[in-house]
Formats: sequence, C-alpha cells, structure tokens
Amino acid sequence: MGERLREAFAAVEAEEELKDRTQAYLFRKTQGYSARKAAGRAGPMRWAVAVACLVLFAGLGAGLFFTPVSAISIDINPSLELNVNCFDRVVSVEGFNEDGRKLAERLQVRFMGYPAALDAVLAEESVQSRLADGEPLSIYVACDDEQRGGAMLDEVRHCAGRGRNIHCQAGSRETEEAAHAAGLSCGKYRAFLELQALDPTVLPEDVQGLTMREIREKIAALSGKGTAWPGCGKGNGRGQGKRHGQGAGCAQEG
Amino acid sequence: MRSEQEANRVIGQYAGLVRRICLMHLKNRADSEDVFQTVFLKYVLSTAAFKSEEHEKAWFIRVTVNACKDLLGSFFRTHTVPLDELVDLPAEAPPDTREVLDAVLSLPEKYRDAVYLHYIEGYTAPEIGEILHKNVNTVYTLLTRSKKLLREKLGGDGDG
Repeated sequence: MGERLREAFAAVEAEEELKDRTQAYLFRKTQGYSARKAAGRAGPMRWAVAVACLVLFAGLGAGLFFTPVSAISIDINPSLELNVNCFDRVVSVEGFNEDGRKLAERLQVRFMGYPAALDAVLAEESVQSRLADGEPLSIYVACDDEQRGGAMLDEVRHCAGRGRNIHCQAGSRETEEAAHAAGLSCGKYRAFLELQALDPTVLPEDVQGLTMREIREKIAALSGKGTAWPGCGKGNGRGQGKRHGQGAGCAQEG
Repeated sequence: MRSEQEANRVIGQYAGLVRRICLMHLKNRADSEDVFQTVFLKYVLSTAAFKSEEHEKAWFIRVTVNACKDLLGSFFRTHTVPLDELVDLPAEAPPDTREVLDAVLSLPEKYRDAVYLHYIEGYTAPEIGEILHKNVNTVYTLLTRSKKLLREKLGGDGDG
C-alpha cells in the first residue's frame, strides 16, 4: 500500500505556471526584493520617531519631577514654603515675608530630600535664635494624598522632634491655594483663619508682618484662653494634635 | 529578507511538497495557490536560520500545515461555501492514482498529515511528532487507525 501511495502522490506536482505566478507574487510583495533597502530608507524615520518618543518621555518625566504635589509651610518669623514633588524632592522654595524671601534666596535646598531640606531650614540661625527666644514654630504639610501627607507628617515630626516648641500639622492643598491667594503661607493662613473667626475685621495683610507668636497672642487675647495651637483641641475641626510645652505637637486633618 | 535566488531555490526544491500538503487539506485550486504563495512569502520574509536541509524541509511542512489550517479556520471559510468546491486532483491522473488520492483525502483530516509524512516523505513516528508538535504515541495511533481505514478502502496488507 505504501508503494501505491507514493506513486499516487508522485503524480501531484506543482505546475510550472504556479511556480511562475509565485515567483512573480514574491517579487511584487517584496517590491523586487528591495524591502530591505526600503527598510534602510525608513531608518531615519524610525530614529526620528524614537528620538521624538525619548524627548516626549523626558519632557513628561521632567514635568513630573518639577511638579510639586505637596508643600511644607514653615512659619516662625521667616515664613516660607518648601514645594515637594512626588519623588519627595524639594523643587522650589518660596518666601512669604521679607525674612522668608531672604532665607529662601540663601537656602540651597533645591532638589534635596524634604527631610534634609527641613533640617537645613531648622538649623538656620534666624530660626534657631527665635526658637531660643521661645518663639513657637509652625510646620504645616499640605498634601491632597492622605497617605503621602501622613507619611510626610511623620517625617516632619521626626525632624521637628529635635527642636523645641515646634508644632506640626497636615491637611489638604486646598488650604495652600487659599493661603497663597491671600499672600500667606499655609501655617500662617491657618492661624489667620482662627484669628478672623474671632475678629472678622482682620485682613490677611494685617498678619503678614506678624510672627506666629504675635498672631497666637492675638488669638489668645480674643478667645480669652491661653495660647493654643491648631490641632490642640481648640477650633481646629478634625485636628488630633497634642499640646506640648516644650516638644513638637503634631496633628493631621482627616 | 532573503534574496530572489534563495526564493527560487526553495520553490524548485519544495514546491511539490507544499503543493501536496495543500492538496491534503484544501479542496480547490484557488485556496491551494493562496497557501502555496503565502508559504514561500513567509520563507522570504523569515529570518530563521536552518541548521540543515532537513530542518528547512521540516519548517516548510510545519508552515504549510499551519497555513492550511489557518485558511480553513478563517471566518470567511467557516461562513461561506466556495463555488468550486471540488477536490483539486490532477486532471490527467490515471484511475488508480485518483482512487488512492481519494482514499487518503477521505480520511479524517487529523490523520492525513501523519499518513502523508510517513508514507510519502518517509518520516518516522517520532520525527512526525516533532514536526507536527504531537505526542509520539498520538502519531502511532493516527498511523494505525489510518492504515486500517486505507486497507478497508484500498485493500492490501497496509504495510508501508
């Protein structure tokens, strides 16, 4: 049977016309077997596309790197903010009063991790001298990502724990936008809101030149209570901070 | 991409093989020609490096079988019936040849490749298993069953 099968299939061959048509088909489909050359000509275009993609990704990466997603507002008398990107790097420093602007110009904390940048700010002589004089310092972390904000607050608290009379809080960036619109840093703006709640005639420009202690004293005077910090159980919504006479008090808004 | 000379060489060398495998699966000349041309185009565009002539031949068998199955399984094929639904056998074939080819083509499709590769191309069951990516025992089973069916149709002892 095997022999019969072999003989039968031997009769089946590819016709010469079929081979000719196939050769013509291949010639046509490969553009005369020049597709490689065509591919070579397409090379510069492919390079151009690759370079364009690279530039695009680099642009997107740079955009991402330079876009702040959170801010750390530091207020004592120098009043300034560290704008922090999603990689926890400081991308800009902004002063919100004369001392703050001078300090922002002098500080070289750009592209530094925010804990190191915060350490650098706290180590500044102008800040240290005020802390030594018993001036309270406020640190406010503005971040819309609750998890990130919480982690930053922990880190900030860790840095501040080494200082005295430093009070930390965290909240959304909504505060940051409103504060900047009023020409104030976040920390000072929150103090201003407390003061305005007690005295509606107070304007942002009235507190711009004041230290945090001076604002706190006004609040204490109007409220008839002792000096208290946001998040210390007084007029601060969801604040959960603890009040410390000497250490750092911290709170995070929900 | 391979050169025109290489294309002409393999057409000369494997045209019969590809044509016969097409015949085993496809019932009309137009489909056969489509697959025939597709297989050689795939070769020209392929960058596969063949270790030997046997390796190259196995590549052609495998690619042709797959191309036939792809065509048969295509949406168009499964939803239409060609006007020329005729077995594409050589017109001038003698009666005995036609009878044998008819017997092979009447086998269930899954048997045909094994029969062709074993009886016509002389491959062993393990080699067929390797080429078609089938278990060797499955190939033995296919050959045994197809031998029985062919013996019923053609008579004889069925030995290769």
